[in-house]
Amino acid sequence: MTYNAIKIVKGKAGWGGPLIIKPDEKRNKVLSVTGGGIDPVSRKVAELTGCEVVDGFATTIPDDEVFVAVVDCGGTARCGVYPKKGVYTINLTPVGQSGPLAQYIKEDIYVSGVKPEDVTLAEEGATISQAAKATEEKSSSSKAKAAPADEKKSSFIVRMGKAVGGVVGKFFAAGRQTVQMVINNILPFMAFVSMLIGIISESGIGNVIAEAIAPVSGSLPGLLIVCIICALPFLSPILGPGAVIAQVVGVFLGVEIGKGNIPPQYALPALFAINPQVGCDFIPVGLSLGEAEPETVEIGVPAVLFSRVITGPISVVIAWLFSFGLY
Amino acid sequence: MDFLAKLAESFIGLFNAGGATFMGLVTGIIPTLVVLITFVNSIIMLIGEDKVEGFAKKMTGNFITRYTVFPVLAMFFLTNPMAYSFGKFLDEKYKPAFYDAAVSFAHPITGLFPHGNAGELFVWLGIAQGITELGLSTAGLAVRYFIVGVIVIFIRGIVTERITLMMMARKEVN
Repeated sequence: MTYNAIKIVKGKAGWGGPLIIKPDEKRNKVLSVTGGGIDPVSRKVAELTGCEVVDGFATTIPDDEVFVAVVDCGGTARCGVYPKKGVYTINLTPVGQSGPLAQYIKEDIYVSGVKPEDVTLAEEGATISQAAKATEEKSSSSKAKAAPADEKKSSFIVRMGKAVGGVVGKFFAAGRQTVQMVINNILPFMAFVSMLIGIISESGIGNVIAEAIAPVSGSLPGLLIVCIICALPFLSPILGPGAVIAQVVGVFLGVEIGKGNIPPQYALPALFAINPQVGCDFIPVGLSLGEAEPETVEIGVPAVLFSRVITGPISVVIAWLFSFGLY
Repeated sequence: MDFLAKLAESFIGLFNAGGATFMGLVTGIIPTLVVLITFVNSIIMLIGEDKVEGFAKKMTGNFITRYTVFPVLAMFFLTNPMAYSFGKFLDEKYKPAFYDAAVSFAHPITGLFPHGNAGELFVWLGIAQGITELGLSTAGLAVRYFIVGVIVIFIRGIVTERITLMMMARKEVN
């Protein structure tokens, strides 16, 4: 079987790429981890290259058989997991280097905002990118070789200096990691939230929303209904990505609690009612991070989705019981 | 003309209000958050992942700690999303239940330890902002969010484990 090389460019507002890549005998499967079946981009990639498409929500395959992973990540987890593993990644959402694994998201392995028309056959003679995995391994092995050279017996003061330096270095690294996190993830979300709150509270839309939301979220039955809807197995994987929906709804409810439209004792049950879908978009990836077998993923995805229908409403009731005597 | 001026004024008014909110979030939340997350990150780096792994492995033996202490440790030390890699210490049949428990703790942890899932703080912060606006303290809410979170992931772990075992048994028969 011969495979064709393809070129994938970033879409509007996308980031990374272009990737010019070709499957080989081993890496010849397109892994579609997008929730709600196989997406058009995976299909296009498979069609052009001659690869097979695998629905990541139905099963999983070893990482070294994945030619390219297609995700629709909102910027937290999936967009970084595959680049970290050294797998070419196409993100359908236009997300750049973000999330806790942002450091692994590089132009030569990741491209985002991709639409089917951004995937084309590579022109003849175009240079094919090398699998990022190989280069990564090389650099780490050269580092490992260099390390033992300076391990000589040194005096007490030198050793103490090194130890203190090591600790200070760790503090500094922790600080840098934190600030990076704030810039990459927290500040952009704050900007987005502020814009929403500004428009909603000043334009009068807020009053309309309040009239619709407040009666629902200011009572236990109302919260249970919200929770059951969010936990429906066909909705929960769609509502999950990046926890964006849960976060936006959380901000809405916060504004209404602040205005006094929702009593504060409903804050705790609400935290669970708006979030029974947490991680439902991420089950196959999360399981493969835990080195689960394909058979486990096949069973694990529906098991977790069904479990949420039962445990979602239970969590709201427990939270409601625990909210007595709080405010 | 007056009408246009009014229109422009109310248009920019939307964003002035947004700007004020942004200022409030940045000055009210970020300074403490940065210092707190830096502190916890340094502790994690000083302890080191391998020591945590050794301790965490001991928590996988019985069903109580498997779905309480174990996922909480995973989320605290490895944070979202690397926490799920702790699934590798478990038998296949427990992996979906562990994932369910761990991922369900991704938000309850943020009330007390925002470093655990710093990219998705606004599930908690959004609602907590409202409580602050009323002049009430969020500390009690954060503690209860954490406790209820532990109870909920315990229940989720057990229920998902049952469902997984049932489905595996049915598959075997077929």
